Amino acid sequence: MKLSENPIFITHKRLVHRGGVLAAVLIAGLIGFSLLLGLLNSLSEIKLSGQLHGWGFRSPAETGKNIYGWVIGVEILVLVMLGVNRVTRALQEDRKAGLWDSNRLTPLKPGQIITGYWFAPGLREGYMAAVLAGFGLLVVLFSQLPVTLWLGTQTLIWSTALFCGLLGILFGMAAQKSSGAVIFLAMLMFCPFSFIAPSRMLTNFLFPIYGIANLFQTGDGNRDWTRMPEIFGLPVPPILISLALQAILGLFVWRTLVRKTANPFQPLLLRWEAVALFSMLVGSQHALLWDAWHGKFTAPSEPWRGRELLPIVHGGTLIIGLILLVLASPQPEHVRVESMRLGFKNLGAVFSRSAVSLALSLAGVAGLALLAQFAWGLAASWQAYLVAVLNLAEFLLIFALLLEFCRLRHRRRALGFVALWLFVLCAVPLILAAVFSNEMIARVSLLAPGFMALTNGAESWPQLFLALLAHFCVVVILFFGWRRQWKKLLAHTAG
Amino acid sequence: MSQPLLAIEHLRVDFPAVVAVNDLSLTMEPGDVCGLIGPNGAGKTTTMRAVSGLQEFTRGSVRVSGHELAHEPDEMKRRLGFMPDFCPTYDQLTAAEFLEHFARAFDVPERGRRIEECLELTWLTDKRDSLCEELSRGMKQRLVLAKTLLPDPQVLLLDEPASGLDPLGRIELRKILLQLRDAGKAVLISSHILTELSGFCNKAAIMERGKLVKSGTIADLGQQMNTRRMSVKWRGDAAKAREILQGANVKIIETAGIGATFDFAGDTDALDELLKSLVVQGVRISEWRGVGDDLEQIFLQSGAKELM
Repeated sequence: MKLSENPIFITHKRLVHRGGVLAAVLIAGLIGFSLLLGLLNSLSEIKLSGQLHGWGFRSPAETGKNIYGWVIGVEILVLVMLGVNRVTRALQEDRKAGLWDSNRLTPLKPGQIITGYWFAPGLREGYMAAVLAGFGLLVVLFSQLPVTLWLGTQTLIWSTALFCGLLGILFGMAAQKSSGAVIFLAMLMFCPFSFIAPSRMLTNFLFPIYGIANLFQTGDGNRDWTRMPEIFGLPVPPILISLALQAILGLFVWRTLVRKTANPFQPLLLRWEAVALFSMLVGSQHALLWDAWHGKFTAPSEPWRGRELLPIVHGGTLIIGLILLVLASPQPEHVRVESMRLGFKNLGAVFSRSAVSLALSLAGVAGLALLAQFAWGLAASWQAYLVAVLNLAEFLLIFALLLEFCRLRHRRRALGFVALWLFVLCAVPLILAAVFSNEMIARVSLLAPGFMALTNGAESWPQLFLALLAHFCVVVILFFGWRRQWKKLLAHTAG
Repeated sequence: MSQPLLAIEHLRVDFPAVVAVNDLSLTMEPGDVCGLIGPNGAGKTTTMRAVSGLQEFTRGSVRVSGHELAHEPDEMKRRLGFMPDFCPTYDQLTAAEFLEHFARAFDVPERGRRIEECLELTWLTDKRDSLCEELSRGMKQRLVLAKTLLPDPQVLLLDEPASGLDPLGRIELRKILLQLRDAGKAVLISSHILTELSGFCNKAAIMERGKLVKSGTIADLGQQMNTRRMSVKWRGDAAKAREILQGANVKIIETAGIGATFDFAGDTDALDELLKSLVVQGVRISEWRGVGDDLEQIFLQSGAKELM
């Protein structure tokens, strides 16, 4: 079915146009026109006096880049932020009104429904962005910048809008309210970490901050932003990395959306998808990082300030693992119904479906990926590697066990209890350590061993292994609680 | 033997801590209009959602004209129309545009003509260019019914279709349902208001706590009734009439000089015999009728007591 024949697209396009697009397009036009006038004025000043008064730009190219930066800044705000928010809201409103179900009951394929929501609700913002892109081209041409700057930045902006559009549909499907502000804040919190080594952090490519900034840089600029990122030491253009990452991740999101549209009772991620996604993200992050140590962690390949880089990646790995466990873990009720349908009543079958076995798989993948930084110097740094991997495994296991235990025990209040226990295990020791000025207490934190091992190579290892042992005891206790809860549920099913 | 239009077999739907629908089986033939009756929380809406494919079920099967929901969902979607108990409409579209959306989605041939037909069938022709948000609840209800009828489904699931309609709307809805019945559709309709269903339902299915308590044709269910409430009025000798009544399987509820209301325990033949004996013994009967309609009587005897 062509997009122009897709009923969801037609209807939402109609709704967008009924709400009015002319004013929005004129606003975008006025912004673009003002910036273009500003550029022309600056260029004439430079031509007359050799320097732009007050701003200090000395060349048309420098002025052009600055003004084009403003154009794409507004374009990103309109297209990616507002447009995606519009997609999410359209889906949430349709779900609330019952129209989502009505559309699902038609013979439209899930992919056709998703496509309609993907492209239509953000049309107004699309028109505005197109107008701004047009003015952006004029700015680039007038200031004699290379057209590749325009082509590259526009490709990245529109590909990001498409990728974020899919994420917007996912949020619209999964969340009751728009979570845009929360996501924006979370991204802001990540920014300081990802700017420590811009060309080595995955987030700068997934949201193509590096690709866009790199296009603006000339050879004599800040080396953090001008160098070509490397995948296992091989230089790759940043645009390609961004497009590849967005395409692969977008494919996973698309599969999830199609599956959830066909049957909303399916989990957001299948287990193999969770493992594949985790492998791709963690693997590519370590590939980007590889040139820092060339496989000999603690011995940097160049005089370099990024000693805290591996702990940041460790933290990122924990967060990604945590998110994937939440998305891929089945609801206990779903497992119970499945056990009734398929007739299994043993814990082994539950284990193979639960987040606990998935946590083990993710820990294995993370361990393998981390090995890339240690492989050629393992004899010297095996303790750091072992502590980091064991800590990762324990953290993911504890989270998975807690998640399912709380879902079984507390049902709707599960999330609150998971947060509470994670706070107790991770944050409380750190707070107490600060209050009593005693570093020893901090080592008890579930987060501590991995971060300490990767930050201070010469850490006192027995203490860290002791902390790992204590965390293992938590895993064992939680496992017995988890097993008891599942047994109760399966017994209820049998009854 | 031809396949039933709708065949539900051993349907079970589990919710956390509750079995919403438990081992429900039901078949419907062309021209059947089946009233799905039950108190709040009995599982009527869940049953309809499961049959339409909106609710995952634990066990059982649903077939429409032989096409199984689990294996041929697309075939099912073309043959089965579901109208929920609320009115999902795009508020900023006109009634005609709303129908056009679904006509495109169902790939309805001769879209324009079919839309006009459905608007006419639901008395919305003069509202075709009104925005959905401007329509009253009753009109929206009819619009959603028109949308359900667009692809000309063989089986219709109508969940509380009359809940927002005024008396005139209810009469019109009844006419539409009669037309659908005469067109050979199978209609499964749930309602709290039993008088809405009587008169055109030829079948009834009574649910309580997820289970089907009773189901069958109204006539069969009427035959199965253990007791029925009757009202009689007579002229002349009241004492004699009361004496005859008390001699039969009768529990008198209320009596007045010229008549009585009573519960009769026995089948239709026994009831006929009672009337005959009254007449033969000289009681002049001026009125002889059941109290409430058949559906109400069937429901009251099904054990499902809390209708509202």
